[in-house]
Formats: sequence, C-alpha cells, structure tokens
Amino acid sequence: MDLRARLSAELERRQKANPRYSLRAFAKNLGTHHTTLLRVLRQGRRLTPAMTRRLGQRLGLTHAQIAGALAHEQDAAVLSLVPHSSFRSDSRWLAMMTGLPLDQVNITLQRLLSGRRLTMHTARTWTREGT
Amino acid sequence: MEATVIRWQLISPEPEAAASFYQRLFGWAVTQDNHLGYREVKSSGVHGIDGGIWPAPAGQPGFVQLFVEVPNLDACLASAVRLGAKVIVPPTVLPDGDAMAILLDPTGVSLGVCTLAPRPA
Repeated sequence: MDLRARLSAELERRQKANPRYSLRAFAKNLGTHHTTLLRVLRQGRRLTPAMTRRLGQRLGLTHAQIAGALAHEQDAAVLSLVPHSSFRSDSRWLAMMTGLPLDQVNITLQRLLSGRRLTMHTARTWTREGT
Repeated sequence: MEATVIRWQLISPEPEAAASFYQRLFGWAVTQDNHLGYREVKSSGVHGIDGGIWPAPAGQPGFVQLFVEVPNLDACLASAVRLGAKVIVPPTVLPDGDAMAILLDPTGVSLGVCTLAPRPA
C-alpha cells in the first residue's frame, strides 16, 4: 500500500466534504506538523517506519495495511538507489543509504526479486522493473 | 542431471537469535563477511555440508531450505516447471557471482537451485 497516495486521497476526500479544510488541519488530525506532511505529500520525503505506523494508525488502517505501507516504503527506498551513480551491489551499503537494518534490506531484496521488480543480472548489475 | 545438495538455509524470523543459538549449541562458526551480510554457517565437519541463515519477513514462520547445485540453472528451471514446480525467485546473480533461483516444488516445498562462481584457488 502506498501511504502517500492514501494520505492524498484522504485529504482530497475531506476537502471535498469541507472546502475550507486545510492541510494544517489534516496534519493536526494526524498528529504531525503541517510542514512535515507537506514534504511527504508534495516533495516525496521518505516516511520513516515510526511515521508510517503513526500515520497509518491515525488513518485507521489495519495492521496488515500498515505492514503493506512499511514494505512499500522499504521497496521504494531500495529501488531508488539502483540507478544511483555510486550504487554498490552490497546490502551494507544499501542499509547505510536507506537507514534500514541489514536484515530488513535483505528481506526487501527478496521481496523485490520475488515480485520481479528487481533483477540481479550480474554480480554488479541490477535493474529495476521497466528499466 | 547431476545435482548435489550443497547447502542448507535456515529462514528465520530472528536470524541473529538463531545464529547465536546454533553457535552455542553446536559450536558452529557464523560469519557475515560477504556483500549481502549473509550469515554463513560452518557446520560441515567430516560428512556434512555448510549452511546459512537468512531473515524471514515479519510474521512469517521459519523453515529450512536446501540448495542444490546444478550444471545449468535455466535448463533446471525449465525441467522443474515442466514437472509442476513454480519459480518464486527467478534466476538471480548474487554479488559474489553465484547464481540462484528459488522454486516451489509441486508439493509446495521451497528449495534453491544454484550454480557456483569459480572460487579462487
């Protein structure tokens, strides 16, 4: 689940019901600062696991949905590094760059490989789906 | 087809705790000196084979998987699919040069198949 998309949809729903409903009010309702929410929604700021859990709970998501949102963020974090100029096919490097624990990086890699969203062609060459 | 079981792999929801347990129980050495930080376990002694420990996703139970070395990964996968297996991780070249894939056999048991990169003498 893409929590960012879910947040945008929820904000849109509330603004449709009340045209004066602001991003600031939405952020307050979610227990976060409006500048943080703005960065998440408009500038693609990464959602930390703690933030994902907190926002997911405030939105009333189920445990499974929150787990899906966490996985989505981890997948995106790892995939975003594959085309990086200094990319290294090394889980410790991925862990350092994403801030994820090493085991979580490897769980993410396994998920991406199983889902055919990442391919490891050679020891050094990895590609994302569609590239 | 020549096919040899060369490695066991424990998929554990608590890989660090599992490594610690087997180190203490059997005196197996566990190292992570590789690009994936994979926990390689020296368990072979005279007759056995070595293994490894890989993390399981949250909420998934642990299990043991066997890795079988084959001469040709693609040919093995084609045969496996013909015999009713399902490829759950397609052919993947690991950072150390070994290539592997994960299958679900027709009875639902997963196993790894691999070809190994040449090792320095």
